[in-house]
Amino acid sequence: MLSEQVKIVERKKIPSGATLLFGFPDVGLVGVIAAAHLVDELGLTEVAYVESELLPPLIILHEGLPHSSIRIFADHNLLLAVSEVPIPADVIYPVMNRLIDWGKEKSVKMMISLSGLPMQDRQDAKELKSFAAVSSPEALKMAEDKGVEVLTEGYMVGPQAIMLQRAANSGTPALTLLAQCFFNYPDPEAAAEVLKALSKVIGLEVDVAKLSEKGEEIRLRARDVMKRTQEEMGKMKKGQEYDIPMYVS
Amino acid sequence: MGEWKVALAKRKRTVFDMIDDYFEDMQKWAEHFGEIWTAETPSWNLRNCSIEPLREITVTPTEVLLTVDLPYTLKDSVKVKSIGASGLEVSAQMKKKVKLDDLGVKHCKGVLEKFHCHVRIPVQVDMGKMNVHYKKGILEIRLPRKH
Repeated sequence: MLSEQVKIVERKKIPSGATLLFGFPDVGLVGVIAAAHLVDELGLTEVAYVESELLPPLIILHEGLPHSSIRIFADHNLLLAVSEVPIPADVIYPVMNRLIDWGKEKSVKMMISLSGLPMQDRQDAKELKSFAAVSSPEALKMAEDKGVEVLTEGYMVGPQAIMLQRAANSGTPALTLLAQCFFNYPDPEAAAEVLKALSKVIGLEVDVAKLSEKGEEIRLRARDVMKRTQEEMGKMKKGQEYDIPMYVS
Repeated sequence: MGEWKVALAKRKRTVFDMIDDYFEDMQKWAEHFGEIWTAETPSWNLRNCSIEPLREITVTPTEVLLTVDLPYTLKDSVKVKSIGASGLEVSAQMKKKVKLDDLGVKHCKGVLEKFHCHVRIPVQVDMGKMNVHYKKGILEIRLPRKH
């Protein structure tokens, strides 16, 4: 199996029974921007990283030292898997499968991926809405009880699709939180919205003011990552999320 | 099935396989060179202190819609110029100069002060009826199609 070629190297003690979050490059870079904000705002520390020859030969230099492009940050009750560069479409399955298996080994109580939902004429939107896609009837009830509208029909493409499918099979509750966003442009405002939805679901208090204050700067910095992400989204046919579903009951 | 039918079926399959292979090779070639030409160059240019903006073109039966992501820019500095019948030049000054160093580029020195790009419009349009709108750092250009 390809996922056996994906190794998670633990650098520190991993909390058990935490909530596992995913913030990967996707539409509007909503997940990554939200994840980067969580790391800063909550002071999360790096506890593990992903190592695999399936990934491109790339490292991130930070303060002069090399880091994996996929890292896991944590505090005592939160695990956050973040990728700073888009995960190639052809290795999303093994990477997600390994991360999910690892999460189960750490007895995570819930998995939540943070992402976006592209909307037409986004720049004209006065306010953005968040939605949830869920893995089980229990997760559906939880999202509704917390006041997050549930997506009941449609397609999901990308890491969150794998997470929901695997969670549905294993019984671990999982949600994908999706804020309305730009498809092809970095969207810090949507990242703030998805974090508000996350706060509702898990009761996490996080100040999102900086995402608005530094929004334009974030958009400028995230430009190249967005461009690379566009290429991978094309390969995985991300636009299929726009398709009119033909649900076979 | 007679021997000649088997041979024909085999031959037919081989021809289709060859066609499939041909198109697959063409696609790989196009993807390969497309990546080299469009992605593997820096997004910034220190000669004119510019960075290339993200952009998106949508062609509908009646118009071409081009949006350009211009964060950190001043509305009054946005310029859109037509180049011939099928090209546009877009530029916009940033609110203040940004050092490459501040963006995490440590291997060369320089500043960026504007967004700048050329865009090729893929179908015939009426440049004289161009409609330009800027909101929240997103430039929207609508061009009615010529039929």
